Amino acid sequence: MEHAELARSVIEGNAEEARRLARAWAESGGDPLEAVERGFAEGIRRVGELWEEGEYFLPELIQGAEAMKAALAALRPSLERSRGVERRKGCVVIGTVEGDLHDIGKSLVATMLSAHGFEVHDLGSDVPIARFVEEARVRGADIVAASALLTTTMVFQRDLADAVRSARLPGSPRLMVGGAPTTPEWAAEIGAIHAENALRAVAAAEAAIP
Amino acid sequence: MSGFLERLRLGPCLLLDGGFGSMLIARGLPARDPPDRWTVDRPEEVLAVHRAYVEAGSEAIHANTFGANAARLSRHGLADRIAEINRTAVRLARSAGASYVVADVGPTGEHLPPVGRGDPREWRRQFLEQGRILAESGIDAFHVETMTDVREALLALEALREAAPATPVLVSLAFERKKRGFFTIMGDPAAPSLVRLHEAGAAAVGANCGITSRDMRDLATEALASTGVPLVFQPNAGSPERTADGIRYAQDPEAFADDLAPLLLEPRVVGLGGCCGTDPRFIAALRARMSARQRGRPEPAPGRPA
Repeated sequence: MEHAELARSVIEGNAEEARRLARAWAESGGDPLEAVERGFAEGIRRVGELWEEGEYFLPELIQGAEAMKAALAALRPSLERSRGVERRKGCVVIGTVEGDLHDIGKSLVATMLSAHGFEVHDLGSDVPIARFVEEARVRGADIVAASALLTTTMVFQRDLADAVRSARLPGSPRLMVGGAPTTPEWAAEIGAIHAENALRAVAAAEAAIP
Repeated sequence: MSGFLERLRLGPCLLLDGGFGSMLIARGLPARDPPDRWTVDRPEEVLAVHRAYVEAGSEAIHANTFGANAARLSRHGLADRIAEINRTAVRLARSAGASYVVADVGPTGEHLPPVGRGDPREWRRQFLEQGRILAESGIDAFHVETMTDVREALLALEALREAAPATPVLVSLAFERKKRGFFTIMGDPAAPSLVRLHEAGAAAVGANCGITSRDMRDLATEALASTGVPLVFQPNAGSPERTADGIRYAQDPEAFADDLAPLLLEPRVVGLGGCCGTDPRFIAALRARMSARQRGRPEPAPGRPA
């Protein structure tokens, strides 16, 4: 089985095919890490590029991420068996801030993080600050990610930054912010990491967790 | 026979209104409240915004009904007041003194698989429900706006035409600029989508929100070159910027009107207005350009709605 074939299943957004290939790979005794890193992950990287280039749109991006998740789920047992490998990249608690019902960008970030091996807890939209903080505490989050699509709700990202800091959570999670009105300057001002889009969110999350 | 359709057909370009939610926020609408709540809680504020647009020169104004469908209202615990909210919104718009009142019909906020879990049959039922209430309230036209999926726009259009067969329907999609042209986030390309909506019975089609007046002019140029349909455009006031006092849309009303002024010469551009961040100053600036260019159009131009 070629790495390119694994990648292609994700690029084409074919979850059935990705699952089938992942199972066949594991059953034949192949190294599951190799299947992810040289196969499926190459696929999801390409999907992200095609989206940024304007060749792919939301449906293709979501389907690619779903195929990636299907492959990861099928490989999970063998990934867990492979010695000395801790593949949990980190835990992310994510939601759209209070007063803001925009779901789509946040869900996209959640899906992409999950497709890249993060443990993701999606709290939905219109999430009160206390709920972000409590969930981060319960889950032992490494990253708290908050989306805001309105200039009027963006201010809640600052309140959340303050609340996360003053809660003194174990592991001191980092705050990540995104959404149309947010900028790198705004993120820096409130002490957060900025996610320009779903693809950059993955890179930023990977860079933020040692 | 609708006077509105006749007005679109004969020209000149109809001046619409500008941003509404952003105007209510400037008047103190709290961040977590939908603009629809103020139709019933603060009707004097809604009316004041309508009047400001009429004074600035809007010939047709949109009733404050963008979010007044069952899906959106239910998220704010207002679903049981859907009839009251839509009727009151139309009555407020009507009392502002504009020549035409256009019912604003926004998206459900849900998405079809694989992006979301929206159910097209349920959407259709909701658009039909809102459309019937609006039609009974006495409107001149519907405007389906800010659609990011041409399938939802078509569903809304069909439902509204069923709800009120004699009432014209305008349909505007929200596009993004990509390397290969203008597309919705779902990947619907601009010109073919507009043609499809016109063929499905829209009196005029176009774009609102999402992009600036500069990009909108480019989109309009593309749509004029590659389609033969009547067009309507309502761009944003530039992109939001952060300032010490909060957020503002930085564009100057004169620059906005300059970007759109060339479209006033195009007989097929039947309607112009603004979206997020625009206020009565933007409409007044457009009105000034229109007055300067006003000229008689005795014969209906080819491509205008029949």
